[in-house]
Amino acid sequence: MRGLAGVVAGLVALAPAPARAGDDADLIPQDVLDTKLPPAAPGAPRQTLRSKVFAEDAFSAWSPSVAVPVPYPSSLAAWQNRTSLDASLQWKARPWLTLTLGDRLNVFEQDGQSFASTDTVRNDLREVSATIEPIAGTYLEAGRINVRNGSALGFNPTDFFKTRTLVGQSSLDPSVIRQNRLGTLMLRAQTLLSWGSASVAYAPKVAEPSPVTESNPVGVDLHFDATNAAHRVLTALNLELFDLSPQLLGYFELHRSKLGANVTRSIGDAVVAYAEWAGGPEQNLIVRASAFGKQTGTLPAATLVLPPAGTGVSFRNDVATGLSWTVATAFTINVEYHFHQSGFTRSEWRNWFDLGSAPGARPPLTGALWFVRGYANDQQEPVSQHQMFIRVDWPRAFTPHLELSGFAFVSLLDGSVLSQLSASYYLSDAWTASAFVSGNFGDGRTERGSFPERGNLILQLTRYL
Amino acid sequence: MFRTFAAPFVLLALALFGVSDAARADDTPSGADIVAAADRVRNPQNSFRLSLVLVEYQSGAAHDSITLAVHSKIDPATHQYRNLVRYAAPERDAGKLVLLSGATMWFYDPASKASIRISAQQRLIGQASNGDVLTVNLAHDYASRLIGREGIQDADHQPRDTWHLELTPATSDAGYGRIEIWIEKGTMRPIKSKFYSDSGRPLKIAFYHRYESALGAARPLETIIIDAVDPHLVTKVTASDYRAEDVQDAWFQREYLPRFSEE
Repeated sequence: MRGLAGVVAGLVALAPAPARAGDDADLIPQDVLDTKLPPAAPGAPRQTLRSKVFAEDAFSAWSPSVAVPVPYPSSLAAWQNRTSLDASLQWKARPWLTLTLGDRLNVFEQDGQSFASTDTVRNDLREVSATIEPIAGTYLEAGRINVRNGSALGFNPTDFFKTRTLVGQSSLDPSVIRQNRLGTLMLRAQTLLSWGSASVAYAPKVAEPSPVTESNPVGVDLHFDATNAAHRVLTALNLELFDLSPQLLGYFELHRSKLGANVTRSIGDAVVAYAEWAGGPEQNLIVRASAFGKQTGTLPAATLVLPPAGTGVSFRNDVATGLSWTVATAFTINVEYHFHQSGFTRSEWRNWFDLGSAPGARPPLTGALWFVRGYANDQQEPVSQHQMFIRVDWPRAFTPHLELSGFAFVSLLDGSVLSQLSASYYLSDAWTASAFVSGNFGDGRTERGSFPERGNLILQLTRYL
Repeated sequence: MFRTFAAPFVLLALALFGVSDAARADDTPSGADIVAAADRVRNPQNSFRLSLVLVEYQSGAAHDSITLAVHSKIDPATHQYRNLVRYAAPERDAGKLVLLSGATMWFYDPASKASIRISAQQRLIGQASNGDVLTVNLAHDYASRLIGREGIQDADHQPRDTWHLELTPATSDAGYGRIEIWIEKGTMRPIKSKFYSDSGRPLKIAFYHRYESALGAARPLETIIIDAVDPHLVTKVTASDYRAEDVQDAWFQREYLPRFSEE
């Protein structure tokens, strides 16, 4: 009897409840239901040529220079306009052969510079390469190739081919800078296996190194004197282990060989943690900069190492570690700590300012001091030993067509900040308008506050073709 | 042991609250069976590709859209899908890739040559996160509890006799704190689902709409996602061009992303 009662109760429970008034289906607008997209053509032929071409104009204006303790050695432009045509092409010419081309042609107009100057036109051949797949999963590549490693956003110790690859940029955002950098002439072999992948790349020396310069040489300079001024080898092993996706790297360059590693891990469904390390025997930043300046003729051979620093070679570490956190599926925050053992210590900053601001300090001396910082920028390495990096990205902010982002580099030695806010508005699928506002914050005797230009505004319009 | 001890209480619960997996009428499938059957309705079992168009509506007006190509294959080791998603439009995003393999999700931008590990919550467009456009076997990531039978309206306001189930995370890969799903009795077609955060906050409501034949079964070609906080925000995901495809295992590692060409 009790069993029967249970079955009856079960049947009552199993009977469908009536549909309720005010159902969720009422929330669907009729237009959404009625709109029916044309189906994609079934079996449409696959494309063998993929291309992305866009034209871009970026107008930059800087705030008037202010007096700083260490005078900047050269005059600074008040404005610049860059017009670019950018093309990225990938053609799978045969099932086993892929050809790649990435190029940007720039025309610059600048305050105080004739339009007919040698700095007006510059072509950046980012990539041109051929890849063959002789057997499935194994690739051989030759040409100018952009090989990038590293899990962090603000500083990538294991991105060994990043040095001297910067070309005309609008944004200061490291995430954007990577989108237009020169590749390196190399031969590369890679094999993909079930447990991961392994690769080896050899980048030959084909030219003597060019000086660090703010000038843009005219025409179709390939800049091999920047990207291929030393023999270099990079080996990489990627593993799929323990949800860490470890990557192990070995980088070999005369007097600057390093080992490196990357790991990443998800924490829940909104947080990704990552860490990146590279280390090896090398001199510190000041000594390397001084040697490079003398080698390339920028600094006289008799120039002292400034600010004074020990010239010894020791094992030095670089670390970038942090996490990204997606909040309410709306915006993503990255927070990173960067350690650059080769960079300036507090005492080296103090010496830098004391020497540069001393009575009688003149351009040969101040130029040598600023050269160290220019060299670090050219190498894409931090100047200070310790810094934080914070980045916030808010796609579809307020409206589906607006993306807001901002970042800040914070020196942990003096508290000064380099910050940028940017807004991109998608006028249509083809047109994007962007604005970037950046500023250096800190008093005159800090890393960021010592720049004579405190603010910068860039207005940019992009048309995808 | 637990079952023997619990049997009287289960019967009482059945009478008071509805049906549970532990004790049900003979023709009532288990919650896990229902969700697995609904997974088979939503997802072809062999490797395949399809095109997705995501359109975001605000108060019924279309505001934004993206087009994706999704390549999926079941990992025989985990019985979960691995996915490779390529952005086809708009042009500014074309060529970008999202890879999901196991618990790891990578985003690759051909402009920067960078593969960045991302979280499932990072939003693609409108109310659709990366996790929503990927092919996922819910039965793998969630434990299901059959709440009972319920009559609901589908997106076209047609009455449907459904199984009402509650899904709670069973693996760390589960993207939501809780899911309610209504699956049509008999056809095992998902009709509606509600997604909740870990804290229990309602996130979105999804309707599975326009069932048509694709790769050997009737599948929902449209998913309409309504923001639970602001219901004026609606995203429609339209699937088309289902094709069986020999998806290679090598596609599902990040080092392959720069090589991917859909050949």
